[in-house]
Amino acid sequence: MIQRHQRIVFWCLVVCIIGMGVLLAVERQRGRERIAALAEDETPLDAPTAMAETVTLDLANDADGSIAPASRQIALPEEPNARARALIDHLIAEYALPGSAHALVPGAAVAEVFLVPLPLVGYTTDATSSATKDGGFRPTLPVAQSDPDPVQPKQPGGELAVIDLHSTFVNQHPSGVEVESLTLRSILGTLHANLPQIEQVRFLVDGQARETLAGHADLLRTYPAADTTSSGSAASEGQSN
Amino acid sequence: MTMTGRAQVAEPAAVAPGQETSKPATAPKRPATAPAKPTAAPAKPAAAAVRHAAPSSTPGPAPIPINRTVIVLDPAHGGVDSGSQISDTTVEKNVTLALAFRLRSLLTARGFSVVMTRDADAPAVPNAAGSAMTLDDRAGIANHAHAAACLVLHATPSGNGVHLYRSELEASEGQPTVVPWLTAQAAWIPQSRLLEKQMTTAFSRSGLALVTSSASVRPIDSLTCPALVVELAPSGDDADSINDTDYQQKVALAIAGTLLVWQNQVQPPARLAAAAKETVGQATPSDAAGAQP
Repeated sequence: MIQRHQRIVFWCLVVCIIGMGVLLAVERQRGRERIAALAEDETPLDAPTAMAETVTLDLANDADGSIAPASRQIALPEEPNARARALIDHLIAEYALPGSAHALVPGAAVAEVFLVPLPLVGYTTDATSSATKDGGFRPTLPVAQSDPDPVQPKQPGGELAVIDLHSTFVNQHPSGVEVESLTLRSILGTLHANLPQIEQVRFLVDGQARETLAGHADLLRTYPAADTTSSGSAASEGQSN
Repeated sequence: MTMTGRAQVAEPAAVAPGQETSKPATAPKRPATAPAKPTAAPAKPAAAAVRHAAPSSTPGPAPIPINRTVIVLDPAHGGVDSGSQISDTTVEKNVTLALAFRLRSLLTARGFSVVMTRDADAPAVPNAAGSAMTLDDRAGIANHAHAAACLVLHATPSGNGVHLYRSELEASEGQPTVVPWLTAQAAWIPQSRLLEKQMTTAFSRSGLALVTSSASVRPIDSLTCPALVVELAPSGDDADSINDTDYQQKVALAIAGTLLVWQNQVQPPARLAAAAKETVGQATPSDAAGAQP
């Protein structure tokens, strides 16, 4: 015979269990709704920085070794370094498309682009007494490089672009004189067409100097940013002759 | 065009005794080192060659020697450096060596002496057994030969036919006494252009697909001879067609035929004595360390 107080305890426990189950189900449903609300939030994390603009990409063709300009509508950032990087990223993305005339593997090609004003100078701390007035802070000052023949700009405001490529891109790049040269000339021509202040270009791979792109094209030298399209190259050759 | 980096003389390495791998069966009829213009009047050979020398009462600098019967072939890559993967069974270093052997046979039969930077898989440094040969070592071998032409042989699976490249350097008026290592080819650019033009004509006559351009491929910028990069691509859609013996023979015949004519036309650039003095005066101590007297 079950006593009365035992029955009361039993039913109280049953009510508590049911209540906790209901509470758990309700909280679970609320959690789902919160996650769903976050997923459906289409508010951009970063606001668009610029409107789409017309840029010129110098596109290479492996079949005849030519480079031809092509116009594209692309939104580019305003900051020159980011702009140069975005241009190269769009260029490499074109080559990764199916049916590309200069097929490259998809993926990020450029880690960073640095634009350095020419002529190249070094920096030193300001050793003058006036520089230490405010709490001993010594600012850095540009000084002439010890190199007696530094890289000079052709026009005032000329810049050197240092392009730091990803090793994953370089290691997967097709090997050959033509295909490697076309990639470099395509990058040089695209930068020249859209950022005319870039006069010279150097390449790094993961922040280090590397001898060749994929066994052939020289990556140790400084390249001039110039019109590398087939018509532009022919014109420059005609002038030099 | 600005080049940065170290500067050296154009002849940093000695030629290994075994590097000159092929001699003609019969002795060449021309002297090993011909004057700049053998067909010109013998009274003023130096004046004919040194077109850009400063006018003075003292005799101008001696013309740059050139061996009209010597051709340098540089089969690119070798050893652990296989070059590009042409197909599942073919790598670039084997194709370049095979093409070099074909060219050597044809050139030797035409009376040339052929200097090859490698005639086996693994190139070795002259006078340093066991060490891998660098691109600068190859340029050193080529520059010591004073050859009528230097051909850097490559192969690629992309494209069709033959790709012909010259250096991207801008032509200079002459060759200074102290030659910057990284721009040594600049004085030879006009001759390289002429050789490229003749090769283009020969390949067109042979019916071979051809792409000509300029490229920065080491060690061509350091060569002191008319220099071209010859990149062999497959003859058709099949990458293995690059190994076709008839195709390679056709390419080699076109090159050998061009060089046979070229040996009578090649002219060394003028030697710029005045420019050399300026270069020495502007050079840093480290640059001048390797200066040629």
